[in-house]
Amino acid sequence: MSEDRGERRPRPRGGRRPRRKVCAFCVDKIEYIDYKDINRLRRFTNERGKILPRRMSGNCAKHQRQLSEAIKRARAIALMPYTVE
Amino acid sequence: MNRYEMIYIIDTGLEETARKELIEKVSGLITANGGEIEKVDETWGKRRLAYAIDYKTEGWYVLVTFQAPAELPRELERNLQINENVLRYLVVKLVEKRSAVKPRAVRPAPVEEAPAEEAVPAEAVTEAVAEAVEAAPETDAE
Repeated sequence: MSEDRGERRPRPRGGRRPRRKVCAFCVDKIEYIDYKDINRLRRFTNERGKILPRRMSGNCAKHQRQLSEAIKRARAIALMPYTVE
Repeated sequence: MNRYEMIYIIDTGLEETARKELIEKVSGLITANGGEIEKVDETWGKRRLAYAIDYKTEGWYVLVTFQAPAELPRELERNLQINENVLRYLVVKLVEKRSAVKPRAVRPAPVEEAPAEEAVPAEAVTEAVAEAVEAAPETDAE
Protein backbone atom coordinates (compact mmCIF):
# COMPACT_ATOMS: atom_id res chain seq x y z
CA MET A 1 0.00 0.00 0.00
CA SER A 2 2.52 2.64 1.02
CA GLU A 3 4.95 1.42 -1.63
CA ASP A 4 2.54 2.47 -4.38
CA ARG A 5 2.26 6.07 -3.25
CA GLY A 6 4.11 8.63 -5.26
CA GLU A 7 4.34 6.47 -8.37
CA ARG A 8 3.02 7.44 -11.75
CA ARG A 9 4.36 4.60 -13.85
CA PRO A 10 2.67 1.26 -13.88
CA ARG A 11 4.69 -1.37 -12.12
CA PRO A 12 7.12 -2.95 -14.57
CA ARG A 13 6.60 -6.59 -15.32
CA GLY A 14 8.71 -9.16 -13.53
CA GLY A 15 7.70 -8.14 -10.00
CA ARG A 16 10.34 -5.46 -9.60
CA ARG A 17 8.86 -2.45 -7.88
CA PRO A 18 9.82 1.08 -9.02
CA ARG A 19 12.02 2.73 -6.47
CA ARG A 20 10.21 4.85 -3.90
CA LYS A 21 11.06 8.51 -4.43
CA VAL A 22 12.51 10.45 -1.53
CA CYS A 23 12.16 14.13 -0.82
CA ALA A 24 15.09 16.00 -2.38
CA PHE A 25 14.98 18.65 0.35
CA CYS A 26 15.08 16.12 3.17
CA VAL A 27 18.07 14.44 1.53
CA ASP A 28 19.91 17.76 1.23
CA LYS A 29 18.85 18.72 4.78
CA ILE A 30 17.33 22.03 3.75
CA GLU A 31 15.41 23.82 6.48
CA TYR A 32 14.33 26.82 4.49
CA ILE A 33 13.62 26.79 0.78
CA ASP A 34 14.88 30.08 -0.57
CA TYR A 35 12.76 31.74 -3.24
CA LYS A 36 15.93 33.26 -4.70
CA ASP A 37 17.47 29.88 -5.42
CA ILE A 38 15.76 29.56 -8.79
CA ASN A 39 18.02 26.87 -10.18
CA ARG A 40 16.80 24.56 -7.48
CA LEU A 41 13.20 25.65 -7.79
CA ARG A 42 13.17 25.26 -11.53
CA ARG A 43 13.63 21.53 -11.21
CA PHE A 44 10.21 21.33 -9.59
CA THR A 45 8.31 23.00 -12.39
CA ASN A 46 7.42 21.54 -15.73
CA GLU A 47 8.32 23.15 -19.04
CA ARG A 48 5.18 25.24 -18.87
CA GLY A 49 6.26 26.67 -15.54
CA LYS A 50 3.71 24.78 -13.47
CA ILE A 51 4.60 23.38 -10.06
CA LEU A 52 5.01 19.62 -10.16
CA PRO A 53 2.70 17.65 -7.91
CA ARG A 54 4.12 15.65 -5.06
CA ARG A 55 3.49 12.38 -6.85
CA MET A 56 5.93 13.51 -9.54
CA SER A 57 8.55 15.23 -7.42
CA GLY A 58 8.43 12.82 -4.50
CA ASN A 59 8.67 15.63 -1.98
CA CYS A 60 7.39 15.27 1.55
CA ALA A 61 4.35 17.34 2.53
CA LYS A 62 6.33 19.80 4.62
CA HIS A 63 8.80 20.62 1.89
CA GLN A 64 6.18 20.66 -0.84
CA ARG A 65 4.34 23.38 1.06
CA GLN A 66 7.52 25.39 1.45
CA LEU A 67 8.43 24.79 -2.17
CA SER A 68 5.13 26.02 -3.55
CA GLU A 69 5.40 29.14 -1.38
CA ALA A 70 8.94 29.75 -2.63
CA ILE A 71 7.98 29.30 -6.27
CA LYS A 72 5.06 31.68 -5.89
CA ARG A 73 7.32 34.29 -4.33
CA ALA A 74 9.83 33.86 -7.12
CA ARG A 75 7.04 34.37 -9.64
CA ALA A 76 5.89 37.55 -7.95
CA ILE A 77 9.24 39.26 -8.49
CA ALA A 78 9.74 37.93 -12.01
CA LEU A 79 12.46 35.43 -11.14
CA MET A 80 10.31 32.61 -12.47
CA PRO A 81 7.56 32.68 -15.04
CA TYR A 82 3.91 32.23 -14.20
CA THR A 83 3.47 30.53 -17.51
CA VAL A 84 5.61 29.57 -20.48
CA GLU A 85 4.06 29.48 -23.91
CA MET B 1 12.02 44.07 15.87
CA ASN B 2 11.81 41.52 13.13
CA ARG B 3 14.23 40.63 10.41
CA TYR B 4 13.03 41.28 6.90
CA GLU B 5 14.33 40.79 3.45
CA MET B 6 13.24 42.95 0.60
CA ILE B 7 13.79 42.64 -3.12
CA TYR B 8 12.81 45.38 -5.47
CA ILE B 9 13.27 45.86 -9.17
CA ILE B 10 14.27 49.23 -10.57
CA ASP B 11 13.59 50.27 -14.13
CA THR B 12 16.80 49.90 -16.18
CA GLY B 13 15.85 53.03 -18.11
CA LEU B 14 17.00 54.95 -15.05
CA GLU B 15 20.61 56.11 -15.32
CA GLU B 16 23.14 55.17 -12.68
CA THR B 17 23.10 58.34 -10.60
CA ALA B 18 19.31 58.35 -10.39
CA ARG B 19 19.36 54.67 -9.50
CA LYS B 20 21.86 55.24 -6.69
CA GLU B 21 19.69 58.06 -5.46
CA LEU B 22 16.63 55.83 -5.42
CA ILE B 23 18.46 53.10 -3.50
CA GLU B 24 19.61 55.73 -1.00
CA LYS B 25 16.07 57.00 -0.68
CA VAL B 26 14.67 53.54 0.07
CA SER B 27 17.44 52.87 2.58
CA GLY B 28 16.76 56.23 4.19
CA LEU B 29 13.10 55.34 4.43
CA ILE B 30 13.93 52.24 6.45
CA THR B 31 16.25 54.00 8.88
CA ALA B 32 13.92 56.97 9.25
CA ASN B 33 11.11 54.70 10.43
CA GLY B 34 13.12 52.94 13.10
CA GLY B 35 14.63 50.20 10.99
CA GLU B 36 18.20 49.08 10.86
CA ILE B 37 19.79 48.06 7.58
CA GLU B 38 22.00 45.00 7.66
CA LYS B 39 22.96 44.74 4.04
CA VAL B 40 22.19 46.24 0.66
CA ASP B 41 23.04 43.76 -2.02
CA GLU B 42 23.25 44.81 -5.65
CA THR B 43 25.20 41.83 -6.88
CA TRP B 44 22.33 40.65 -9.06
CA GLY B 45 22.19 43.97 -10.81
CA LYS B 46 20.68 43.93 -14.25
CA ARG B 47 18.72 40.79 -14.85
CA ARG B 48 16.30 39.47 -17.42
CA LEU B 49 12.77 39.33 -16.11
CA ALA B 50 10.96 36.02 -16.36
CA TYR B 51 8.06 37.86 -17.95
CA ALA B 52 7.57 41.37 -19.23
CA ILE B 53 6.44 44.01 -16.74
CA ASP B 54 5.09 47.14 -18.44
CA TYR B 55 6.67 45.90 -21.69
CA LYS B 56 10.08 45.84 -20.01
CA THR B 57 12.17 42.70 -20.22
CA GLU B 58 15.00 43.75 -17.91
CA GLY B 59 15.25 45.08 -14.42
CA TRP B 60 17.80 46.09 -11.83
CA TYR B 61 17.47 43.86 -8.77
CA VAL B 62 18.30 45.17 -5.31
CA LEU B 63 18.22 42.96 -2.25
CA VAL B 64 18.03 44.53 1.20
CA THR B 65 18.07 42.79 4.55
CA PHE B 66 17.05 44.83 7.55
CA GLN B 67 15.65 44.73 11.04
CA ALA B 68 12.54 46.73 11.66
CA PRO B 69 9.45 47.04 13.81
CA ALA B 70 6.40 45.28 12.45
CA GLU B 71 4.71 48.44 11.14
CA LEU B 72 7.55 49.37 8.81
CA PRO B 73 6.91 47.00 5.87
CA ARG B 74 3.48 48.48 5.29
CA GLU B 75 4.86 52.01 5.13
CA LEU B 76 7.72 50.82 2.95
CA GLU B 77 5.40 49.06 0.53
CA ARG B 78 3.19 52.12 0.30
CA ASN B 79 6.16 54.21 -0.79
CA LEU B 80 7.46 51.64 -3.25
CA GLN B 81 3.99 51.40 -4.76
CA ILE B 82 4.00 55.14 -5.43
CA ASN B 83 7.41 55.20 -7.07
CA GLU B 84 7.01 54.41 -10.74
CA ASN B 85 10.66 53.49 -11.23
CA VAL B 86 10.15 50.49 -8.99
CA LEU B 87 8.67 47.75 -11.14
CA ARG B 88 8.15 45.18 -8.41
CA TYR B 89 8.95 44.70 -4.75
CA LEU B 90 8.68 41.88 -2.26
CA VAL B 91 9.13 42.14 1.48
CA VAL B 92 9.55 38.84 3.28
CA LYS B 93 9.97 38.19 6.96
CA LEU B 94 13.01 36.03 7.54
CA VAL B 95 12.70 32.74 9.33
CA GLU B 96 15.11 32.61 12.24
CA LYS B 97 16.25 29.07 11.75
CA ARG B 98 17.52 29.06 8.21
CA SER B 99 20.38 27.33 6.55
CA ALA B 100 22.18 28.23 3.38
CA VAL B 101 22.54 25.74 0.58
CA LYS B 102 24.94 23.17 1.87
CA PRO B 103 26.51 20.16 0.22
CA ARG B 104 24.92 16.89 1.06
CA ALA B 105 25.99 15.94 4.57
CA VAL B 106 27.58 12.63 5.34
CA ARG B 107 25.17 10.44 7.19
CA PRO B 108 26.14 10.53 10.87
CA ALA B 109 27.06 7.30 12.61
CA PRO B 110 24.21 5.71 14.58
CA VAL B 111 25.06 7.37 17.87
CA GLU B 112 21.46 7.40 19.00
CA GLU B 113 21.51 3.72 19.87
CA ALA B 114 23.91 3.80 22.81
CA PRO B 115 22.55 6.77 24.83
CA ALA B 116 18.94 5.66 24.31
CA GLU B 117 19.69 2.27 25.75
CA GLU B 118 21.54 3.72 28.65
CA ALA B 119 19.09 6.47 29.42
CA VAL B 120 16.04 4.35 30.04
CA PRO B 121 17.54 1.80 32.41
CA ALA B 122 19.45 4.55 34.21
CA GLU B 123 16.26 5.95 35.70
CA ALA B 124 14.93 2.56 36.61
CA VAL B 125 18.26 1.58 38.10
CA THR B 126 18.53 4.60 40.36
CA GLU B 127 15.15 3.84 41.85
CA ALA B 128 16.00 0.21 42.31
CA VAL B 129 19.39 1.12 43.69
CA ALA B 130 17.93 3.05 46.59
CA GLU B 131 16.17 -0.07 47.78
CA ALA B 132 18.78 -2.67 46.89
CA VAL B 133 22.15 -1.08 47.61
CA GLU B 134 23.37 -3.89 49.78
CA ALA B 135 21.90 -6.61 47.61
CA ALA B 136 23.68 -5.75 44.33
CA PRO B 137 26.40 -3.07 44.57
CA GLU B 138 27.89 -3.93 41.12
CA THR B 139 24.85 -3.01 39.04
CA ASP B 140 24.83 0.68 39.92
CA ALA B 141 28.52 1.18 39.16
CA GLU B 142 27.78 3.27 36.03
